Amino acid sequence: MIGRLLAAQCPQVQQRMLSSFAQGGRATWPGWETIIGIEVHSQIKSRQKLFSTSLNSVDEAPNSRVSLFDAAFPGTLPKLNRKCVDLAIRTALGLNASVQHRSAFDRKHYFYHDLPSGYQITQSYAPIALGGILHLDKVDRTVRIKQVQLEQDTGKTTFSESLNRTQVDLNRAGAGLMEIVSEPDMRTPEEAVAYIRTLQALLRSVGASDGNMEQGSLRCDVNVSVNKAGEPWGTRCEIKNLNSTKSVQAAIACEVDRQIKLLQSGSVVSQETRGFDEHRMTTFKLRSKEDAPEYRYMPDPNLPPLILTEADIDSVRQSMPELPHKTAARLESVYGLVPRDIQVLMSVGSGSNVGYDGEVGPGNAVEYFEAVAKGRDPKVVVNWITQELVAQLGRRNENFDQTPVSAQQLGDLIDLVQDGTITGTSAKTVIRHMFNTQTSSSTLISELVDTLGLRSQAVTDDTLQKLCEQAVQELPIEADLVRKGNDKVLMKMVGKVMKLSKGTADAKIARAALQDMLSS
Amino acid sequence: MVIRRHARSNPTLIKLARNLSSEIQERLCSSAVESGPARFNAFVSRVTDPPDSSGESLPLSGKSIAIKDNIATSAFPTTCSSAFLQEFTPSYDATVVQLIAQAGGHISGKTNCDEFGMGSFNINSVYGPVLNPFQLSTGGLLHDNEDRSAGGSSGGSAAAVAADLCFAALGTDTGGSIRLPASYCGVAGFKPSYGIVSRWGVIAFADSLDCVGVLAKNTGRIRDVFDIIQRYDSKDPTSAPQDIRRLSRHRSASRLEELKGLSSGLFNGVKIGIPREYFPSEMQPSVTAQFRVKLQDLKERGAVLVPVSLPSTRLSLSTYYVLASAEASSNLARFDGMRFGSKVQHSEETDLSQTSNIYAASRAAGFGPEVRKRILLGTHALTADAFDNYFLQAQRIRKVIKTDFDAVFRSRNVLSRDPPESSSSELDDDDTKVDILLHPTAISSAPRLSEPLKGVDGYLQDIMTTPASLAGLPALSIPSGFAGDDWPLGMSLVGQWGDDDLVLRLGEAMEQTS
Repeated sequence: MIGRLLAAQCPQVQQRMLSSFAQGGRATWPGWETIIGIEVHSQIKSRQKLFSTSLNSVDEAPNSRVSLFDAAFPGTLPKLNRKCVDLAIRTALGLNASVQHRSAFDRKHYFYHDLPSGYQITQSYAPIALGGILHLDKVDRTVRIKQVQLEQDTGKTTFSESLNRTQVDLNRAGAGLMEIVSEPDMRTPEEAVAYIRTLQALLRSVGASDGNMEQGSLRCDVNVSVNKAGEPWGTRCEIKNLNSTKSVQAAIACEVDRQIKLLQSGSVVSQETRGFDEHRMTTFKLRSKEDAPEYRYMPDPNLPPLILTEADIDSVRQSMPELPHKTAARLESVYGLVPRDIQVLMSVGSGSNVGYDGEVGPGNAVEYFEAVAKGRDPKVVVNWITQELVAQLGRRNENFDQTPVSAQQLGDLIDLVQDGTITGTSAKTVIRHMFNTQTSSSTLISELVDTLGLRSQAVTDDTLQKLCEQAVQELPIEADLVRKGNDKVLMKMVGKVMKLSKGTADAKIARAALQDMLSS
Repeated sequence: MVIRRHARSNPTLIKLARNLSSEIQERLCSSAVESGPARFNAFVSRVTDPPDSSGESLPLSGKSIAIKDNIATSAFPTTCSSAFLQEFTPSYDATVVQLIAQAGGHISGKTNCDEFGMGSFNINSVYGPVLNPFQLSTGGLLHDNEDRSAGGSSGGSAAAVAADLCFAALGTDTGGSIRLPASYCGVAGFKPSYGIVSRWGVIAFADSLDCVGVLAKNTGRIRDVFDIIQRYDSKDPTSAPQDIRRLSRHRSASRLEELKGLSSGLFNGVKIGIPREYFPSEMQPSVTAQFRVKLQDLKERGAVLVPVSLPSTRLSLSTYYVLASAEASSNLARFDGMRFGSKVQHSEETDLSQTSNIYAASRAAGFGPEVRKRILLGTHALTADAFDNYFLQAQRIRKVIKTDFDAVFRSRNVLSRDPPESSSSELDDDDTKVDILLHPTAISSAPRLSEPLKGVDGYLQDIMTTPASLAGLPALSIPSGFAGDDWPLGMSLVGQWGDDDLVLRLGEAMEQTS
């Protein structure tokens, strides 16, 4: 979609991006340097909001999860949700940032109908964490993190065409956000995308956020400037509210193009806040530096400073889940998995398996793998997961936690295949059956195999002999061809035997038996 | 039945009233005739039923408690005496209201106040000024018959107490709003230590300064109510934690143990500091003279009087107005005519490309002139260009003012992050250190309502009361005789943070024979 629009509206960018993809995925503007910094707003995966006890909303009816405080009723007061603090600490630790022993909350003022109190509580003067790094393995770039701050989300404004009125939903008002600010350390749109992907994986692994851009739980503002190689950095523009990695990539490319064109034509880039029009593939001016709003930041007099002792931080550190790069390293060193399998295991179901308040969510594929791999060949196990389970889930468009095959059941199934009790084909039949009928996790695999009549022992030598004879009778032409030495047709006959045996026959033995029968 | 007072003929309100429901309009019309007690304009809404004294015996059973109209009540509208909130009846009760009801107290009505608590004379109210009831209670005056101010901003609460319309009243005190009206009306008024009484449900003027307190005829009654409302509240993030409360109460109790003479009106061993900065040249000579009489009496009853200095006092007025106004500009942002506050239709010429113009129409009509003035001042103090010079500077001075107080009190400030000088003791036995400070509450008796109280002079009075607010200290104003015009005067006892019990007991002892 973006690609097509690029072609229509932004031919230069498209040309450049296409040619750069051909060279290995790097957009380049020869002779120019691009400086990119990103501010990410990420919704904290807490049960309750940042300063009230109302539950965070997923898809509830508008204005059904609003407390007196969320709606800024006079006389109400904020109460800090420590779960949000813990998740921000996890994020900070994951980013190798320094968690501050003393941070504080400020009010940022502006009038808008989805901001009921007239101010947003944020951490402008003393954020919860400062200085961190995020290494982007894919592009081999280290990005410094400037700070992590806690703040409230606003309500949601929608315009109803049919009613011709603006509607406000306060379900999101007061939800906890982390603002994660990078230093301007990225140099290409691809690096920007790698940064967001790496950050998403980190947020999910520490349980701090779903990090889903499509659902709005992760939103980006991107700062872009260009300069001629060897010259000082140019004036930056901020592009607000980018909602997908694709639009981040496209918006940066379009903005770089715009700035270069300006400079090439002898004019200057002025510091602006800009928006991105996905349909026209252009950035557009929202406001200039001179129009920058006066937010009148003020320390929030209701909220005492947030004091975190080394012991507080340590206790969060102890309860932290493993970070992505450690998990990957472990999967490689302990189980000898190849990078492709590691990547599949780690990305399956990510974002849907983050539990509330940092609790371990359901359906973590890595955990599942490790449970099944206990005492089994990890390579065999990972194949069953990545090829059978993931394929079935993908076909049904379901999340990993929705698999009806428990780790125990898959382990039993693999054991039956390994010891020759059933064939691989039969095991796949079992898995399909479990998906189709949504069997329970207490169902015994051996009973299931018997019920479905899939036990290999059922095919005795005698029976196989009879099935082969039946196949020869039913496929006389093919049998003749095999007799004349056409091995390709042999496989068709094996297939017939398999079908007649309902998959219980061992294909190798059937092939040998048929060959015997027809070579004499 | 709830009877509601009508707002005084105010063009803005009349404009707003057109949008009011017919039920409210009806109530406005049926409001009490302005004679008898209603003449003081103390209540803005009240119940007609008397307190029920039949039921079980609870600490406040059978006692009427009036509530300042900036404290949320579900049984009455809560308007902050503002035209803006004429239609606002909360669905909830403030924590203090719940506590009083649970203790058997009878919530008898809502009292008039300066709009959102902003004012010293209770003249900034959409219901009109509160009249000081003192005049009638003494059977009329010798010199003049002019109406006098009840003081503000808790003027309605002070007047309701003075006119015997309730057992006690709750007020709020941000910079003197309980103590000053108490002084003018000749009653007792107590602003507790900041954080001791829950602010949940109190419509904020300035969060870091607002305190809920009690007004009553005497300190004993104040204690009856204060004992009920001084509770930790998990809903108030600034509520003092339990361990600090216990520590402070224990300290007051052991000090009072030492001062055995108090119950018989003797002050042996009590050290009272007299801050020399609290006698500005603007103070009426008769105030100083009367205060001297009081000091002599205390000395005769065994008190040790210690002259002390609080050098930053002169900075407290400007510090207070910067901080309080800055917080007010923030807190009042929610009143925008969208959710809270009556919406006023913007004019047809309004430039709608700026959303701020839509808010401006309602806010300009809804807020009274004093509130508008303070919002503008506070807004300016928070702008990026002024922030360092005004807000931050004021915050720094606020710390210095606290340090000034800490230097004169015998009790250590338990909230101070600095370790105590003598780490083993909560008390300092230095001879120059005092138990409490004592000073006149006001520079004069109640001013006449006809006297223009404009410009800086109108704020000058606050120099006596704002330092304790900035430092969050307990401060009690008790009646202390009469000025040259025979109108009442008050004097203020100020204690270290958490020494609320000590302040109240000393105040009670001072009232005994005075």
